[in-house]
Amino acid sequence: MLRRDRASEGLLPAPFQLSGTQVLAAVLTVAAVGYISWKISQSADQALQFAFNGLAVGAVYALLAMGFTLVYSTVWFFDLYYGAAAALGAYGVFYLRSQEATFGRYEVSSVYVNVVFAAVAAGVVAWALHVGLYPRLRTRFNRTALLALGGLLAAGAGAYTGFVLAYPGVLNVMLSPAIGLLVAIAAGWVLYRGSRHILAGTSSVPSRVLATAAAAVLGAYCGLLVANAPGASLYLSWGVSCLLAGAVGLALYRGLYLRMRERARSPLVMLVASLGVLLALTAFTTIVFQSAPRPLPEAFGSDPWTVGGASIKGFSVFTIGVACAGFIALLLLLKKTSFGKAVRAIGDDEEVSKVVGINTTVVIAIVFFIGAVYAALAGLLSGHDTAIQPRMGLLLLLKGWIASVVGGIGNLYGAIVGGFLLGMVEQFGIWDLAGEWRDAISFILLILFLSFWPKGLLPRK
Amino acid sequence: MSDTHTESRTVFAIETREISKHFGAVKAVDRLTLSIPRDGMTSIVGPNGSGKSTLINLLSGTLPLDGGMVIIDDVGLKIVKAHETPAHGLTRTFQEVRLFDQISVWDNIMVVLTNRRLFPALVERVKPSYREKAKRILGDVGMWEKRDALAMNLSYGQRKLLEIGRAMALDVNTYLFDEPFAGLFPQMLEGVKGILKEMRDQGHTIIFVSHNMDIVRELSDRIFVLDSGTLLAAGEVEEVLSSAEVIEAYLGD
Amino acid sequence: MLPDSHAYRELGRLARNPREFFRSSKGSVELWVNLLVITWALAFMLWQGAGFAITVATIFAIWAILAVSLNLVVGFTGLLSVGHIGFFGIGAYATAILTSDPAYEQLRTEAIPTFGWPFFAALPISIVLAGLVALVVGVVFNRFRDDIFVLVSFGFAIIAFSVFLNWRGLTRGAFGIHEIGKPQLGGWVLDSETEFLALALFFLALAVLISWLIVSSSFGRVLTAIREDEKAIEVFGYRVVHYKLAVWVISAMMAGLAGGLFSSWTSFIDPNSFILLESILLISIVILGGLATIWGSLLGAMAFVLLEEGMRFLPFLPNEFIGQARQIVLGILLVLLMLFRPQGLVGRYKL
Ligand SMILES: Nc1ncnc2c1ncn2[C@@H]1O[C@H](COP(=O)(O)OP(=O)(O)O)[C@@H](O)[C@H]1O
Ligand SMILES: [Mg+2]
Repeated sequence: MLRRDRASEGLLPAPFQLSGTQVLAAVLTVAAVGYISWKISQSADQALQFAFNGLAVGAVYALLAMGFTLVYSTVWFFDLYYGAAAALGAYGVFYLRSQEATFGRYEVSSVYVNVVFAAVAAGVVAWALHVGLYPRLRTRFNRTALLALGGLLAAGAGAYTGFVLAYPGVLNVMLSPAIGLLVAIAAGWVLYRGSRHILAGTSSVPSRVLATAAAAVLGAYCGLLVANAPGASLYLSWGVSCLLAGAVGLALYRGLYLRMRERARSPLVMLVASLGVLLALTAFTTIVFQSAPRPLPEAFGSDPWTVGGASIKGFSVFTIGVACAGFIALLLLLKKTSFGKAVRAIGDDEEVSKVVGINTTVVIAIVFFIGAVYAALAGLLSGHDTAIQPRMGLLLLLKGWIASVVGGIGNLYGAIVGGFLLGMVEQFGIWDLAGEWRDAISFILLILFLSFWPKGLLPRK
Repeated sequence: MSDTHTESRTVFAIETREISKHFGAVKAVDRLTLSIPRDGMTSIVGPNGSGKSTLINLLSGTLPLDGGMVIIDDVGLKIVKAHETPAHGLTRTFQEVRLFDQISVWDNIMVVLTNRRLFPALVERVKPSYREKAKRILGDVGMWEKRDALAMNLSYGQRKLLEIGRAMALDVNTYLFDEPFAGLFPQMLEGVKGILKEMRDQGHTIIFVSHNMDIVRELSDRIFVLDSGTLLAAGEVEEVLSSAEVIEAYLGD
Repeated sequence: MLPDSHAYRELGRLARNPREFFRSSKGSVELWVNLLVITWALAFMLWQGAGFAITVATIFAIWAILAVSLNLVVGFTGLLSVGHIGFFGIGAYATAILTSDPAYEQLRTEAIPTFGWPFFAALPISIVLAGLVALVVGVVFNRFRDDIFVLVSFGFAIIAFSVFLNWRGLTRGAFGIHEIGKPQLGGWVLDSETEFLALALFFLALAVLISWLIVSSSFGRVLTAIREDEKAIEVFGYRVVHYKLAVWVISAMMAGLAGGLFSSWTSFIDPNSFILLESILLISIVILGGLATIWGSLLGAMAFVLLEEGMRFLPFLPNEFIGQARQIVLGILLVLLMLFRPQGLVGRYKL
């Protein structure tokens, strides 16, 4: 006992004591830094190129990892659907822009696909209305009428989705009413709240009429603007793809995972179920689009700039920007809003959150939706960079999973750091090795981390 | 705690020397030193969260020690390896009954009886001696009729009994029972008491955690009171339980 | 076929009093599944005639060896491994390299080492090699559990695939290895389909026997306890890591055996047979058939193979979609099983 005490007090003052894993970490870091500096001394230009590529790839991984981390820290299971979501995101863009991508050689639009997604959209809208509005309105209005109206709205949303998917060539025209409506609602809300604020709580009839009119004009203007800008189709297709992937994610949660969570014994049940989802959706994508790699239409920024000997694509910079923006948005959402607090509370203890009055079903549904949107975004961004393939989802999924574990699962900062780290390690790793080894490299990084720092770089607090 | 024994072995089944276990800022067990004699029954009491279960986890190697030393059967250990504790003559039950849920009651007992060495176990089939013993133990804890049921389908009380039976199947000197009486109906409670008494009469060292002071008074020969991971009092039951400190620790919580 | 006591008991009830049985056992999924798959298999054989059925049966035997071996790890020990295909690949490549014909090999550019060994000398080496790799991998993986184990086992499959694809000096990468030796006993070359099927079934029987011996031994009982609660069983004096390592290595060796058979059967292999997707299909088979039963794995493999072959005859399904359609069916089955029967069709362990 005495000997032990002395050992733990040690020769060095406490902050300077190193454990075995810390020594290993130091050695590895030194080795990595040494290797990179040696590489830089060999060819600084190329090192810059690899570093930049690492960041660009890492941005995609980071986006996926954020989704994973968000979901994992709420419900404690890895949703493998995100692999399919990434593929859905990429193929959604392809589906909507296939004429452009294949220079009009063919169009994939298929009735079955449209009907499937229309049904999903209708279901999700129906559920959202049912959860969001029905309880508030049912005391004031006739229930049957409300249900009928809700059903009609949901069916309308589904039909609209189907139409949007059926005429991808005029995406901007198809979407312009929806965008106009959204803008009008948002503007109306802002104006109404603003006028109430200025007029100190009294909302006069003229001010209401004025606000409504202004909002309507603004909405119509935005709708026309979109309708007259065919170039906007690209971004619109991104939005639609992400929303669709998110809607599928939400539908999966509501239809499947929720039921399972009520009776599941272990998170492995959910994991296997989501593996089944991934298998089925991947095969579905393959049937619709064939397994051959496909290009996505040129986005923008594909002419590389030369910066200090490295060629840097504008689109890659954009990707990195999206990852950072996504990170900040999620961070604000989690740290600043009551939704974020609810997410945190559910992650800590779901039962208690229920008792406290948090609507866990809804909060978790939104979490699943956001995660799937991020995955879809990652998928389509990486799709614009390289060709897309139905199988791409599985690999992207694994990379995102690795990044989230390496960064520290359950910690948002960890997700973005892990993503960029993984990208860098992969890129520098294949400098001397063949590029085909990159998947192996990332798994070796994972196993190294899990063996010595199982909690990752930045553990959840 | 008399020193009258003249055997070569010390009179202590388990001793600890300044053992600690901290979970972040929580000092679950803090520089705890105690000696538990071999003979009779010893109870460990203390308010909720005072570190009783953590102590048992440390003694049985289920949790690693942060510091200090455990002496089991006169062997000093700075690292207690769970799989070596039976060899040191010690086994335990868990507060949150941990059975092997998806195997039968029968197999829950059998699994404890088999060969510990890997390669012999690979070719070992059920031996008649194992069968005899499992039968006897299932009889003792009154679970013979239930032998084919899955452990997960038992009632809470039955699970507790089976877990005690599983520990009994391992022939060791010292048994640590973490809250063996918690949540039992009176009838089963009597059953468990009977089993523990019987084991004591056979010369085993029984150490148990309990909140039920009547049972503590009835069964135990001595008592250790923990509070916030430290030893508050130890000694004869009546003496300790009537001391002002202990009463305050319980009421003040 | 196997002493699966529950199914036997049910069959006994059926024999004694059919009417009572049918009235009471609407819920006896197990028996119905057994009857359905076996009837389907028999009908398929009768319908297709020997020739095609022999090919299908050989595919079944190889999948079944894999499934039985994986069930030792997944069903009995509770480690959800998605990397089993790696050991299959190691066995396949080892046998391929050891037995492929050097004379043929020299005609090709970029020759890889070949030995021209007889199959029955190469097979044990392949098995041992798979076991050795499993030993090393297992030592590293031993500390992981649950979902993290799933992730690292994915990793093993990916790393193994990378090695098959990129270590061109040994595996010739994407070009694959040709002229893999056929089994030969003395002067008797087992090169007809029937003979090979007999061999494959023999090895399947062996794998089943070994698995059965293992799971019904004391060792097997400890494995199930490890699956249920590692910490609790450790307190009773078992070194959990050793047990897990042992079963992992044994299971990998069986997968290596299956790999050796496979490469000799097809006589040509390339990395495409060992992709991650195959591994996912394999674990689906194991879960589908049933966790912690040997019979379940056989049933799962049979259902899987029949599913594919059965789909060939669906009029509305173009041939190139069969693989995908099977994958969709399997995916949906997995989801349904996890919802309603987490132990698989005839399983003994709920995930
Ligand atoms: N695994 C653990 N992680 C974190 N804190 C723990 C853990 N186990 C116990 N604790 C904390 O240690 C303290 C002692 O717990 P425990 O030994 O279970 O108390 P008792 O059994 O006396 O009720 C409690 O405050 C508890 O919250
Ligand atoms: Mg306790």
